[in-house]
Amino acid sequence: MSRVSIDPSLNAVVEFDNVTMRMPRRRRRRGSGRRQRLRRIAGEVRRDELQVLTDVSFSVQPGESVAVIGPKGPGRQALLRLAAGTLRPDEGTVRRSRRIVPMIEVARALQRMYTVRQNIYIVGGLLGMTREQVEDALPRIAEQAGVSNMLGRYMNAAPPSVRQKLAWSIAMSVEADAYAIDQTLVVGERSFRQQCWTHVDRLRENGATFILSSDSPKQFRRFCDRALYIVDGRLEADTTVPEALAAMRAARKEAREAGDSGSSEADEDGSP
Amino acid sequence: MLVLRDLQKKYTRFRLGYLWTLLEPLGMSLVLWLVFSVLLGARALGLQPYLLFLSVAILPWWWFSTGIGAATRIWRRTGTQLRISTLPTQLWVLRAMLVSLVEFIFSLPVILLGVVLTGFLPSPWILLFPVAIVVQFFLMYGLSLLIASAAVVFPDVARLVRIVLRAMFYLSPVLYSVSNIPAGAQFLASFNPLVGVLGLYRVGWWPEEAATATGYGISLGLCLVIFVAGVLVFRKLEPRILKEV
Repeated sequence: MSRVSIDPSLNAVVEFDNVTMRMPRRRRRRGSGRRQRLRRIAGEVRRDELQVLTDVSFSVQPGESVAVIGPKGPGRQALLRLAAGTLRPDEGTVRRSRRIVPMIEVARALQRMYTVRQNIYIVGGLLGMTREQVEDALPRIAEQAGVSNMLGRYMNAAPPSVRQKLAWSIAMSVEADAYAIDQTLVVGERSFRQQCWTHVDRLRENGATFILSSDSPKQFRRFCDRALYIVDGRLEADTTVPEALAAMRAARKEAREAGDSGSSEADEDGSP
Repeated sequence: MLVLRDLQKKYTRFRLGYLWTLLEPLGMSLVLWLVFSVLLGARALGLQPYLLFLSVAILPWWWFSTGIGAATRIWRRTGTQLRISTLPTQLWVLRAMLVSLVEFIFSLPVILLGVVLTGFLPSPWILLFPVAIVVQFFLMYGLSLLIASAAVVFPDVARLVRIVLRAMFYLSPVLYSVSNIPAGAQFLASFNPLVGVLGLYRVGWWPEEAATATGYGISLGLCLVIFVAGVLVFRKLEPRILKEV
């Protein structure tokens, strides 16, 4: 049972066709948000939305690991969520041939008022594990996240770093052959990260597909064979990782030379 | 399946105070009974025995108001989970409604207690009682789908709903009987779906409550309309909900 439509006849894992997406802008301050609302009621502003993806088309083949690279912004996360199907595009279509596990802000789904064990069951279940699978994986998850001794305690007893690790450990134990991973999942100390990446490597060898988004270029170089370079919601380039990173560096440099630290400059230079 | 388990999880927390599920409506019935029957001596209000008359309607009302109240807060509570799950979005609303349904069923012994205390036994019409539960569930599910989708577009809906609920309490025959409504307003009252639902609950004890058959027809029909509208509106707004949550 799922709200995500799956089209098994598709060859690609996921295929974006002229996707345009607008997302509500995050409201920074409560006061201004309220004023916005009043203005919206008054009819001045119809909607406070930001176009985060514009006319994006690409497809990901089985076994590929694709990096989503670009300046900070909501576009990358939206792209991952669209791929996994937890968002629907405003325009265009997204088709996928299999389940893609959405490892996007998993830590936020951990609920404070449940125990650690209950959380593992709930989040594992949400990510598509059956009860038996969770039971099997429970000791491993607990050990990896370092929560073996606090399974019966409430989630709010765990520090944020442990929450992040737990989320990542749960997500990693989901068996699927396609994952959409957002940067925020890459956390914990060095040895923990190492463990996670070894796991990703093993899955990759088994033919799993990955779509990754991260701020750390190092990871991309190691794991991805393809990069989608996204600037201000536009797919600027569909190339290799080093090239995309070089393009990003160049854009950043130019922006700095132009005396502007934002990414808006970079966009003007990059667009044809 | 998942949702059912979720529900169990959720309920273990609530059951810390299972007794409260009983005490809360019981207390409310008692207070209202004291005020309206003993202090004000309003014999004209409702039907006898008034204590039972009240509690039969108070419980469904309690279910209604807590369930609808939960619907306004639903995205705040489940938003982060919704973002990582691929389950149908309606299930989150359904789950909240199931939780409140379970609470309601657990609170039913209050009515039993009322029957024992007053010794007022129901007629075979009591068979309509479960029907009423089903109808109310559909009404609430539809309504909460509507409210949950509206709450995404206008965050102010939550407050509005609270006021409307308060008004509904007095506009619905909880404290009084349908026969207390002036003849002119009876037709209007039947446009309140709760009139029909509460009537179904009460008809087991007070067959005269079923008097205005066409009225019930209208308000039960409205339940159906609300349910269908809820499902349709929710489907329409689903992408928007996913976005905003």
